[in-house]
Amino acid sequence: MSAPATPVMVARDLSVVRDGRTLVHVERFEVRSGRVHVLLGPNGAGKSTLLKALNGLERADGTLEFEGRPVRGSAARLALRRHTAAVSQKPYLLSTSVLDNVASGLRYRGVRKSEARAAATEALEMLDVSHLAPRKPGRLSGGEAQRVSIARALACDPAILFLDEPIAALDPPTRRSLVDDLLQILDSRGIAAVWVTHDRDEALAVGDSVTFIEQGEVVQTGPAMEVFSRPATESLAAFLGLDSYLEGTVVVGQGGDLRFILRDGQELACGEAPLGHAVACIPPEDVVLLTTAPAHNMSLRNVLQGVVTAVRPDGRLLRVSVAADGLEIAALVTKAAFEELGLGIGSPVAAAFKAAALHPIPRHERPEQTP
Amino acid sequence: MQVIWDGINEAMRLIFGGDADVLQITLRSLWVSGLALLIAVLIGVPVGSLIALRHFRGRRLVVTTINTGMAAPPVVVGLLVAMFLTRNGPLGQFRLLYSTWAMVIAQVIIAFPIVAGLSLAALQQLDLGLRQQIAALGAGRFQTFLAQLREIRIALLAAVMAAFGAVISEVGAVIMVGGNIKGQTQVLTGAIVQETRIGRFAIAIALAIILMALAFGTNLALTMIQQKGRQSV
Repeated sequence: MSAPATPVMVARDLSVVRDGRTLVHVERFEVRSGRVHVLLGPNGAGKSTLLKALNGLERADGTLEFEGRPVRGSAARLALRRHTAAVSQKPYLLSTSVLDNVASGLRYRGVRKSEARAAATEALEMLDVSHLAPRKPGRLSGGEAQRVSIARALACDPAILFLDEPIAALDPPTRRSLVDDLLQILDSRGIAAVWVTHDRDEALAVGDSVTFIEQGEVVQTGPAMEVFSRPATESLAAFLGLDSYLEGTVVVGQGGDLRFILRDGQELACGEAPLGHAVACIPPEDVVLLTTAPAHNMSLRNVLQGVVTAVRPDGRLLRVSVAADGLEIAALVTKAAFEELGLGIGSPVAAAFKAAALHPIPRHERPEQTP
Repeated sequence: MQVIWDGINEAMRLIFGGDADVLQITLRSLWVSGLALLIAVLIGVPVGSLIALRHFRGRRLVVTTINTGMAAPPVVVGLLVAMFLTRNGPLGQFRLLYSTWAMVIAQVIIAFPIVAGLSLAALQQLDLGLRQQIAALGAGRFQTFLAQLREIRIALLAAVMAAFGAVISEVGAVIMVGGNIKGQTQVLTGAIVQETRIGRFAIAIALAIILMALAFGTNLALTMIQQKGRQSV
């Protein structure tokens, strides 16, 4: 196992307050070399505001340390900006040639024109857009302009790259190629990145770690897979598309394993969770649809019999809703699998999932009321 | 019709014959309006930028005042400047009334709100995101300011053209504070008024042609610079 990357930036009790209102607050946020940290959340959650505070563009209360030194005051914030770089959703290119655009960050940092242009040429080559060097920004496509914008940031050799929805305005093929190239460059050069997005698929595709922010507060932070498979709150689960909610109580079963007792008394095997009242969610991609009884050697410990109530496209897959014993379970299946099973609205089907796929979220604030 | 032809002939004779009086009036016009414009740009662009980029109490009132100043009648400006510069006025001790300096002051007051107001409007139209992107690239405050001015250079040149047009063609203020004294404070507009009054239409037309040619030539040069800038966007 490789040694943990060093934190290049640490924010403690950091908050951005405007007109007496706290826009965003984080207890602790670390940026580590060579890692992509995703700030995920719905629109207006405070992700971009936090990004600006980390980048020294926005005044913030609390402690911000960059490479072990505190960032306090406008001079320190400028020094921070001169060791980092930022890319926005819009490329915001200046009305000069592409080459001079890419050199502009270095020029602001006092680098001589010839040196800045040499570094800019190298950055353009890295992003495969060196042929655009003499062009004006008005004559670039959206994808080209964003590549130039990223080249401009990378030309500065930043310790941290701050990206605010960098691919949100691009078409899917352009997104894919740009993300692949960018992740490869970040990895090879050991650059840390803080990547803001509201797109959960994008977050999962690019993030080493994910911090979910809602209404200006951090809801959960951790490795991307952990946040996606074990959301800490119902709102995060809903944001992540985990819409199969089951209310019940986590108890220790007779065999010593954890059981999730539904309100109607049904028992399901569940993953690790604190005992007590909870709302459980099941990732739809972990639910398997079966038209025959599952084989005994399968590890699918939960099998619910039901009927298909709805089918709708979800990207390249189909989201199939199953009503089973009064419960609503969603499953993601390929179109081919759906046809092979001969399913349609009203078809009888079994929804099966592993114990680990059932993730109970403790519900401390609203204990179950007895009638 | 004959009067117009005579005027054109006279204009050609005066222009190409190198008439000393006409040359002096023309140069004085250029000097007064050019200097006033330069001062107005040097003050107006930073003031307009400051108002556009800063938020402060009473900002709306300041913007309204500048916008009103853009439409201020030159005679009102002339009246104000004359009141301040008259012997018993607050600045009477400097004895500037009926001098070219008084005319420069009046024209600065006319040109300043045009330059400030138009640069303010142009900067306000710039996307806030662009400003933040420039700062995020490591630009300090002054570098960010200069980069933004570069982005609005076409609009800035339009402001300069509008201000030059206003001062080179105005007559009310320069006559009131300059006195239209031949050989001392007379500029092209004042001379046209005087020659028309005494019925020397040919000379008045000649001076009008020179004034128009000056305005056209200056605007042509500025437009060429402006359109060259547009191609690089």
